[in-house]
Amino acid sequence: MAIMMPASDQAVLARRAEIVAALRAIVPGEGVIDSAAEMRAYESDGLTAYRQPPMVVVLPDTTEQVSLVLKYCAGQGIKVVPRGSGTSLSGGALPLEDGVLLGLGKFKRIREIDFDNRAVVTEPGVTNLAISQAVAHAGFYYAPDPSSQIACSIGGNVAENSGGVHCLKYGMTTNNVLGCEIVLMSGEILRIGGKSAENSGYDLMGIITGSEGLLGVITEITVRILQKPETARALMVGFAQVEAAGECVARIIGAGIIPGGMEMMDKPAIHAAEAFVHAGYPLDVEALLIIELDGPKIEVDELITRVETIANACGSTTCQISTSEAERNLFWAGRKAAFPAVGRISPDYLCMDGTIPRGALPKALARIRELSEKYQLGCANVFHAGDGNLHPLILYDANKPGEIERAEAFGADILRACVEFGGVLTGEHGVGIEKRDLMPEMFSEIDLNQQQRLKCAFDAQGLLNPGKVFPTLHRCAELGRMHVHAGKLAFPDIPRF
Amino acid sequence: MDTLKVRDAKDVEEVVRAAIANEQPLEIIGHGSKRGIGHAMATNAVLDVSALNAITAYEPNELIVTLQAGAPLADVLSLIDAKNQQFAFEPMNTAPLLGTPVSATIGGMIAAGLAGPRRIKAGGARDHLLGAHAVSGFGDSFKTGGKVVKNVTGYDLCKLLAGSWGTLSVMTEVTLKVMPKPEAERTLSLRGLDDAAANKAMTAALGSPFDVSGAAHLPKSAFRTRIEGLGDIAGQGEALTVLRLEGITASAAHRAGSLRELLAPFGTATLVEDTVSAALWTTIRDVLPFAAAGVLGPWPVWRIVCPPASGAALGTLLARETGGELIYDWGGGLIWAALPPTPDAHAPAVRERVNAAGGHATLIRAAEDIRRAIDVFHPQAPGLAALSERVRASFDPTTILNRGRLTRGAAA
Repeated sequence: MAIMMPASDQAVLARRAEIVAALRAIVPGEGVIDSAAEMRAYESDGLTAYRQPPMVVVLPDTTEQVSLVLKYCAGQGIKVVPRGSGTSLSGGALPLEDGVLLGLGKFKRIREIDFDNRAVVTEPGVTNLAISQAVAHAGFYYAPDPSSQIACSIGGNVAENSGGVHCLKYGMTTNNVLGCEIVLMSGEILRIGGKSAENSGYDLMGIITGSEGLLGVITEITVRILQKPETARALMVGFAQVEAAGECVARIIGAGIIPGGMEMMDKPAIHAAEAFVHAGYPLDVEALLIIELDGPKIEVDELITRVETIANACGSTTCQISTSEAERNLFWAGRKAAFPAVGRISPDYLCMDGTIPRGALPKALARIRELSEKYQLGCANVFHAGDGNLHPLILYDANKPGEIERAEAFGADILRACVEFGGVLTGEHGVGIEKRDLMPEMFSEIDLNQQQRLKCAFDAQGLLNPGKVFPTLHRCAELGRMHVHAGKLAFPDIPRF
Repeated sequence: MDTLKVRDAKDVEEVVRAAIANEQPLEIIGHGSKRGIGHAMATNAVLDVSALNAITAYEPNELIVTLQAGAPLADVLSLIDAKNQQFAFEPMNTAPLLGTPVSATIGGMIAAGLAGPRRIKAGGARDHLLGAHAVSGFGDSFKTGGKVVKNVTGYDLCKLLAGSWGTLSVMTEVTLKVMPKPEAERTLSLRGLDDAAANKAMTAALGSPFDVSGAAHLPKSAFRTRIEGLGDIAGQGEALTVLRLEGITASAAHRAGSLRELLAPFGTATLVEDTVSAALWTTIRDVLPFAAAGVLGPWPVWRIVCPPASGAALGTLLARETGGELIYDWGGGLIWAALPPTPDAHAPAVRERVNAAGGHATLIRAAEDIRRAIDVFHPQAPGLAALSERVRASFDPTTILNRGRLTRGAAA
């Protein structure tokens, strides 16, 4: 394992049997799993290159049990790793050898559907898609749609601030959650927000969203739901140069059009997808855009025409416009299957997730090509072009000595380039363990210390999901120390009025 | 009183460090337009960021603008308006309500986080702040977020800074998301509805697929006089329920037609367009019927946020108990309540009713003696209040920034 995790606490490991018994007293029956064979299912999440069986797995089914488990662990100094469906692509739910893995899979009931307030109150183990399905009969849906939506849990979505292809227009998880019930590491149960548009006081919901399971364990979530757009149509536009496709994206936004989705694929991704799903993608283009407009029919029809005009002006070589739902779905089929499609042409691949300013797309692609040469590894690129979120898929073979290390170095260089071009390390997959050690590329020690101080406000012992997000762990007492800078200076050299 | 007019982020660091060393709390101001909101602060030193007023970068194609915190809001709005863009959350201009000169900064806009009618569709200030540079109460410059919309790298401290009233850090530079302005707007008006019926009409509209971007209700009022710019729309004192549709012209017009049919059970809606519609929504955004210069000027004003479908029940009860005047926005989820003057601004009744409805209330306008007597910001449950305080202290352990603004008695 290339990533160093916090040293295991041997004293805790030595007391494993006692700890398991104490947890069984809180969560009876099959809710505590301690056999090596059964725990194997939990040793990894969506970032499968990293595996570690936990000390014990606990699957509570009430908030009170969650509270008692955390309170017990806090009292005993035992680390806890929360887990939803385990689809994290950044290792956010990677267990610790000396830690309790706290699975929320039994929290799978939707508690309330409130159409009048356009809100759904749900337990965290409910899948993203199940929320949309539960409200579909009234024409509503839950907007964020990460590609794992069939499996990923809403609790995990909140922890990771998950996105999806419709973020540009409809926002990420953080723009679509209203409130939660959260259990702190101390066992304290708090309610934040509710069905109101805004919470009182500091926006704690905003800070919990995307905190990667380091601040608390969410046991209930209130999300806002929207009416489904009346219709959606898509254009599939091919370009002979990546630059032209990038220009097209910029001009669409510049014209004041915010598409529901705007995706780009490069040649290797197009070929892999077409070979897999036969969506009719043009094979002689360097870049393919799938642009979806949604809303009232009259609006969509008008915008389709405007986008087509822009695409032509940018030198598109092919342009198809969907005339039916079947055709629109076919356009998307290749894009949605891009990851498995790449899986067919390469034994293994690493999926990266940086974001760059839209305008830097051609530059970023050129850099990725150079790096591909340098590391002698292939790379297929799919992007959420509308919001600059890149998903380069680095192709490698884990059975060939040295390839995984080369692939990881390639990936790290891509993320460094994202930061260099004015972007960020991760757009939607999270830092987890995967990008943890790259955090100093983007943040100074002072920046990271401020974030860790906030962590201390929620979890002063640092027991919740340690080893994730932060490359260096500090004790809270050390972070809280105030360095008084020379008491004598009294506002030197500042103009006074 | 000492006013320290900082020139750059380094100055801010120096001032905050000196303040910590001297145990001298600082009041943070831009143009000072919202100084009347909150409790009196325990300080006689002012850190003035209005000279940090540069527009660092405006990139219309990236939909972002990077600004120093003291940049004048009006200048920034004209800048982005020239490219047909806007802050989609419709930041409120508090000047008419508070009776202050029309002048505000970007930093104040974010720190107050007061979003207008479009919040129901586009979110609030917190949803549009992409990144920030700030100086904490440790006297350290830090940054959070970035310059791109899609970013989950580290904790999203931007969410905390928005609406923190300057109690966590001194923002020095921020990156905000901008959005294209809609080509057209149409507003449907229903007349004569009582609050309950209006709440139902707004709920129906917001639950429709017609993408409503504003839903407000002005109840019948003996106080409402003619409001400038509205012509015959309002001003007669009768109840007015208004719903806004924005987008490309054909679409806004089409949806207005569909929505009018949907709302037929509530009466026949009339339509106003573009300029007139915009003036109407500015009236609601800035709560002009309660303006300081108007007949309700002496009345304290509460800003109540609650689950939208409960708005009318809550508002009706409060109005009956206090004899107050109301304006509903956000489909019922935001209630502006001007209540007849009393020494406590009817705080016990407001808090009891608002708590029962699952909402929270902020006393936005009141004389200083009233603000000394009651809590301006909504008291939180003990556990939540304790966590909020730990969060605050994680940025500013000695409460050097805006000490006492949020919590009554802290100024002593």
